Amino acid sequence: MSQLREPAFDRVVAMVLRVGAFSCFFLMLAGLLFGLFVPGRIPLGIERAGVLLMLATPVVRVIVACFLFFREKDYRYGWISLGVLVILMLGAVFGIGEH
Amino acid sequence: MVTVLLVILGFFAGLLGALTGIGGGVLLTPILALYFGIPIREAIGTSLVAVITTSAASSSVHLQRHTTDIRLGMTLELATALGAAVMAYLVGYFNRNFLEGLFAAFLLYSAITILTKGGKFRHEDALPPATNGDVVIPPYEPQRYPLGLGASLVAGALSGLLGIGGGPIKVPVMYIFMNVPLMVATATSNFMIGVTAAASAIVYYRRGDILVEDAAPLAVGVFLGSLLGARLAPRIHTKVVVYLLVAIMLYLSGHLAVHLLRGWL
Repeated sequence: MSQLREPAFDRVVAMVLRVGAFSCFFLMLAGLLFGLFVPGRIPLGIERAGVLLMLATPVVRVIVACFLFFREKDYRYGWISLGVLVILMLGAVFGIGEH
Repeated sequence: MVTVLLVILGFFAGLLGALTGIGGGVLLTPILALYFGIPIREAIGTSLVAVITTSAASSSVHLQRHTTDIRLGMTLELATALGAAVMAYLVGYFNRNFLEGLFAAFLLYSAITILTKGGKFRHEDALPPATNGDVVIPPYEPQRYPLGLGASLVAGALSGLLGIGGGPIKVPVMYIFMNVPLMVATATSNFMIGVTAAASAIVYYRRGDILVEDAAPLAVGVFLGSLLGARLAPRIHTKVVVYLLVAIMLYLSGHLAVHLLRGWL
């Protein structure tokens, strides 16, 4: 089935992405501006937090969608979302290669 | 100084990406490698952060216009994320010259594809109307899931390998083979890019291939550029911008090839 036009679902997922993108933007910008005056580890730490939040945003998006699918009793897509989440986590576990 | 240049670079890549619908990631990696002296693997990892930023910002707009098929996207993400994560893992064992050569070939291929299909595959048709009114999407039923999943696996692997979004593969497959309207295919592909890029970016990050001090200014620029681009898109003659993009891609492909040959001689 193609189930487009579920305004509430779309809005929640859009909100996750928007909040993620905007917070990352402001974190990174803060890091950059801060770095102009106080070079060193603190601004880099802020920038790193921004990068990590950016990497986490899609993961959070999958978690939220997974939760929404299960709440709607749409189990099929709930399990699919969970599968995507597992694959994302696999990347975090096996992320070691030649240096 | 480098930081300011990176913000400007990100800004123009984001602007071009939003105007043409062709992700800026394809430009960022070679520019970082060629002109900022960043090794190719770190260049890929760093530009992946910008790719996620673009996807998050632009797909939140598509979602608000209700043109994204979240269920279809989530299903195909099983394949793109798997392809991306596995390939990102394997890239750690690849020869850097091989990666550079592959990127040069991919740029050349993409440039030619855009030029030959440019007329047929008009980006404007894929854009939802600027108004927030009801978008009329004819009812449809996604078909040929195995084919869609297979293509998504390839798109994901390419994303993990080169740090790009893979839209040029997913959009036509969804549109032509899976019977999905172009507007929905574009929005859904954009939606999938965030998770796909994150699947590989996590692996790159763990390996130390994301340079935070370069990724931050780049992402800041990309964010601003794609916001402006999304606003300008309805008012700008896209064809000129597409030719500009193709010219840059061809130039970068050539420069990468020369760079490679110099290394060997």
